[in-house]
Amino acid sequence: MSFIDVKEEILSTRNLGKEFNDVWVLNDININLKKGEIHSIVGENGAGKSTFIKILSGVYAPSKGEIIINSQKVKFNNVKESEQLGIRTVHQEINLIPFFNVMENIFVGAELEKKVMVINILDKKKSAEKAKEALDTLGVELDLNKYVHKIDASMRRIVQICKVLVGKYEVIIFDEPTTTLGSSERRRLLEVIRNLKKQDAGIIFISHNIDEVLEISDRITVFRDGENMGTMLKKESTVNKIVSKMIGHKSYSDFKRKSVTDKDKVIFEAKDLNTERLKNINFKVYKGEVVGIAGIVGAGKTEIARAIFGIDAVESGEFYINGDRYKPKPGTSVKKGIALVPEERQEQGLVLNMDVKKNISLAYLDQLGKSSVIDFETEKNTAEKLIEYLKIKTTGPFQIVKYLSGGNQQKVVIGRWLSGDFSLGIFDEPTKGIDIKAKEDIYHQIDMLAHKGKGIIFISSFLPELINVTDRIIVMKDGKIVDEFDPKQNTETEIMIAMLGGNN
Amino acid sequence: MNNKINKTISWSEVLRKYGTVIGTIIMFIIFSLVVDRFFTFRNLFMLLRQMSMLTIIACGFTFVMAAGGFDMSIGSVTGLVSMIFTIVLVSTSNFLLSFLIAIIVGLSVGLINAMLVAYINLPDFIGTFAVGSVAYGIKMLLTKGNPIFIKNPPEIFTFIGQGYVGAVPFPVILMLAFLVISIFILHKTKLGRRIYAIGGNTVASVYAGINVKWYRMITFLISGLSVSIAAIIMTSRLNSGQPLAGENFLLDVIAAVFLSTTMFGEGEPNAMGSFVGSLIISMLNNGLTMLSVPYYFQYITKGMVVIAAVMLAVVMGQKLRVKF
Repeated sequence: MSFIDVKEEILSTRNLGKEFNDVWVLNDININLKKGEIHSIVGENGAGKSTFIKILSGVYAPSKGEIIINSQKVKFNNVKESEQLGIRTVHQEINLIPFFNVMENIFVGAELEKKVMVINILDKKKSAEKAKEALDTLGVELDLNKYVHKIDASMRRIVQICKVLVGKYEVIIFDEPTTTLGSSERRRLLEVIRNLKKQDAGIIFISHNIDEVLEISDRITVFRDGENMGTMLKKESTVNKIVSKMIGHKSYSDFKRKSVTDKDKVIFEAKDLNTERLKNINFKVYKGEVVGIAGIVGAGKTEIARAIFGIDAVESGEFYINGDRYKPKPGTSVKKGIALVPEERQEQGLVLNMDVKKNISLAYLDQLGKSSVIDFETEKNTAEKLIEYLKIKTTGPFQIVKYLSGGNQQKVVIGRWLSGDFSLGIFDEPTKGIDIKAKEDIYHQIDMLAHKGKGIIFISSFLPELINVTDRIIVMKDGKIVDEFDPKQNTETEIMIAMLGGNN
Repeated sequence: MNNKINKTISWSEVLRKYGTVIGTIIMFIIFSLVVDRFFTFRNLFMLLRQMSMLTIIACGFTFVMAAGGFDMSIGSVTGLVSMIFTIVLVSTSNFLLSFLIAIIVGLSVGLINAMLVAYINLPDFIGTFAVGSVAYGIKMLLTKGNPIFIKNPPEIFTFIGQGYVGAVPFPVILMLAFLVISIFILHKTKLGRRIYAIGGNTVASVYAGINVKWYRMITFLISGLSVSIAAIIMTSRLNSGQPLAGENFLLDVIAAVFLSTTMFGEGEPNAMGSFVGSLIISMLNNGLTMLSVPYYFQYITKGMVVIAAVMLAVVMGQKLRVKF
């Protein structure tokens, strides 16, 4: 061993893999982590990062391969056993108790006790000492008596880190620790993580923000389609190099479409839209145009759909559909001609216990007969036509939708809007979790709708499909529109850099 | 082979949909055999008349529960409406006025429930339970807990609870009318469809453009209306305003409507099922009373029936959509 490589290896994996239903979502991962090192893992959604973390933290058992800690082969059956070996995770969701103070939160589940007479009571003095020690390690001043709901988001992260520090730790995994933070809070958190290096902990850092990865890491590993695409030292890495390793997809549809955009007619316009999560959004959708919205998780893509449709409260902004100004409220939006295929088809799209025809007729019920009584004949016929047109695999209009497959369920939601006449169709991740055949059916459907002169907003975190299906791609980051691309002229790499890139 | 499989499936299907109805028939036969004078024309009509109020409130409650809600105020509000109805009738001798005021009181309570639960988002149980407590307090305040007897009642007033059309008691006709209208609204109209959609998946209903708060409000108004009608029948039957009458309706109605989820379909509350559920509860009340079973034992039986109904609903794979 050379003198330069003095740092001890603390954790490594050998051919680690995980299989779900015959699909290897993670395959042959070989990675190592040294003491006092920050090792980042980057990759697109579905690249296998979270599966990898879940194996290390004991949530999933690996389907093959080995985990080695301090030169010992280890196996753990659950989160607790993994934690006992010193693998600790700072989760993306902040799971603190708001009405407990900082100290109480740090010791939740690991309370320090002392014996008074025969009963154990909480040892506040010792807890305070240990908590203070942890905060000092991180170089942070924080009042231990403050309630957690009164401290800011970065401080809550720091409390989460303290929870790790008061216990045993060898490896600390940070899963997207900065996503919800503002830029100054982000800076502080990165500083804290840097301080942790001095404690000789091995740090695995997961982030979508390439700038921050380049800033903090010693080494960077790229995952793609469940495989390790290579590990680089920080000094050899550039944004371009990382992104080109991240993209490139196996087995993807070669669906292509021609633009039918009519720039003379604006179907939809949002002016100066602001919500809690969105800042100064301005954009138009023209007749026959398919506008893609791209961005990483948390960039505000779904929030745009929700604001336009009227699910989330709008702080300010003007909305026009076919030149008419409207106030977003779900009922009004539907009447004005907006259709929304929501991101979560089971939770937001369907009434699972109802049959196909009832789910299809739900939004345009008023069209089924003039009176308040439902015209059942028309309802059934419409459903039958749509089942045939959309090639929905079902036993018929009377089948309960919970028994359909994901792709067919999604088609039912789309069928709902096709049963009426809308002007603007918003598709939020319409192909998530469905098979390739159903995906292509949905692309064709979107193409057909554009040909019929509708305006389409297509939200997706899967860039290749946006490039194939849309006429224009709007890129979002931190609730703002940061760039706009013509998918015919720009490459996936350029768009991806805009999505991931930091503040430049 | 194929035939055999089909047959077993259809049998389990029949049991799933009609098991409770079959159980009701068996119970009816047992009571007829065991209880003297149970299976007589007179007693059966009495049973129907007794269950009319329960059925009407249960139908109203079915609307609330179909939309995924719950209404704990019904018991106390029945008494409140009855007392206000009686007070107005006694002091003005104007039937129409007292009738209208009774309806308005029920609808107002429904509106208050809806405001708290649908618009301010209080949990259904807490909001409506508290409203019920307020209603209880108000009726005690108005009457100091004493019944008010109605001397020289108008004919039309007496007819509502005690009259007959041919051989059929008028409350039974009211019950059947309320039942048929409820079934019609829930299963044939756009209103009913939207109510079931909200109960099935509130979030998806919002995403389909349905004004969830508005429709939930309508269900509470229907529940309030049903309470008013039942209270008027009750007052007429008793020929007096009894402040504590009606308190028992709450558990009976919950039992009836939970039983309805085990009948006729996909585990949704439904009006026809609530009718059968009311019949089961009333049959128990009637039969056990005729057997001289002490009233405390009847409470035990009813509690067990509620537990059995809810368990049946859970076992049959229907999630209980009640929000706590």
